[in-house]
Amino acid sequence: MTPLRTRLLLAALLIGQLFLLASQEPDGDGSGSLLEGAALRSLGPLAWTVDQVSGIFASATSGARSRSELLDENRNLRTELLELRRGALRLEGLEQENEGLAKTLGFSRRGQGRLRAAEVVYADHGSWLRSLVLYAGSSGGGARLNQPVLTSDGLVGRVVLVAGAYAKVQLVTDRAASVGVQLGRSRRQAVLRGSAPGELLLDYIPRQAGIEVGEQVLTAGIDGVYPRGIPVGVVAAVEPGDEVFHRVVVRPVVDFSRLDFVYLLEGESVPPELMREGAGPDASR
Amino acid sequence: MRLARFLAALAAAALLHFVGAKAWPAFPRAVDLFLLVAMLEARHGRPLVGMFAGLASGLLADGLSGGPYGLHGFANTAVGYGTARAAQQLVVQRTTGLAALFAAGAAAQQAILAALALIFRDRVELPDPLWLPVQVGAAALLGLAWTSAAAALARRFRFWRKSKTAKLQLPR
Repeated sequence: MTPLRTRLLLAALLIGQLFLLASQEPDGDGSGSLLEGAALRSLGPLAWTVDQVSGIFASATSGARSRSELLDENRNLRTELLELRRGALRLEGLEQENEGLAKTLGFSRRGQGRLRAAEVVYADHGSWLRSLVLYAGSSGGGARLNQPVLTSDGLVGRVVLVAGAYAKVQLVTDRAASVGVQLGRSRRQAVLRGSAPGELLLDYIPRQAGIEVGEQVLTAGIDGVYPRGIPVGVVAAVEPGDEVFHRVVVRPVVDFSRLDFVYLLEGESVPPELMREGAGPDASR
Repeated sequence: MRLARFLAALAAAALLHFVGAKAWPAFPRAVDLFLLVAMLEARHGRPLVGMFAGLASGLLADGLSGGPYGLHGFANTAVGYGTARAAQQLVVQRTTGLAALFAAGAAAQQAILAALALIFRDRVELPDPLWLPVQVGAAALLGLAWTSAAAALARRFRFWRKSKTAKLQLPR
């Protein structure tokens, strides 16, 4: 091939890739391209294999622990289990009371959905393009697009690409991620988006709003992706932003450096026909 | 044969990437093995090969990373072509020349990614500049190490073949 043709081909490839980049919506439905799916399908099994082998090594090395350590751990786990059982009983009572009150008022709410565990086979939370790859398996339907991903601590993100048994997750700390949230104390709703590594920012909090450091931030259930009530973070700092709004920094509740297993939240998402502009769950307000 | 070698190199890079990320969470920040494979292919001085090697390695790296798909594909395509053109124009035989080639390729990739981050700033944040010297140094070291090891292996193979054929002596 002549040098001119090579240069033309280079220009065509680069322009084509720019179009590919520009055509992807910042917070789109996460359908992904065929190429991206193929790349994940080819790399997923390798990541799973490395994860399994490293797991075998880790369990072999941690197997040699002293008897006293194991006895202490056993004692602590029994105490924790007892406390969790007491808490679960109390919550069950509160939920029944809540359902009774809801029935009396004629208020119907969406079901909470089941949790299905998925293994994290690759996590890159350190570099500037954070991502998580899960092995969701093919039984039970695998993962689905926009499926919420959480841990026992709180929200991790949502599924943005499904390739067979593997799924890529957009973390809540991603620059392109946004979550509809509600503050625990003031009940004020806002939009949470990813910022610098490990940091989240709350948008649209007016200067006159009384926000306190340490206030819990939960999902509001208004964005059509995440149901209400999942912990996302804690207010870490309230700084003066522009003339109208605060700059509120939120620290995520999930420790992204220690993710081995996550949970996929199963349940009905908001039907697409209700997601037209002006026809959201809060359209009647 | 060459294509099979390149694909095997990509698979090896992916395997080492996963192992590295397991052992040290900051590994993907410090070392870009996919770019290294593309530059090792491009250093033979064929721009078309360098371009497609960069494209393939970049799109594979994008499959693992967050952010919009195609960032590394774009950057590695340009770096693959640039590396091949540099190898055509310059005599890159000595250690310093080789190290400079790999270092310049890694630096160029980071510069292109930073430029793309500025263009698509609503979706991508700027790469951390503190890791730039680490990436550049790692690319130079690993590129040199691989090139030296490959040259040593090739020399041994040639010597082995020569010693095999030398034993066949026809009677006078």
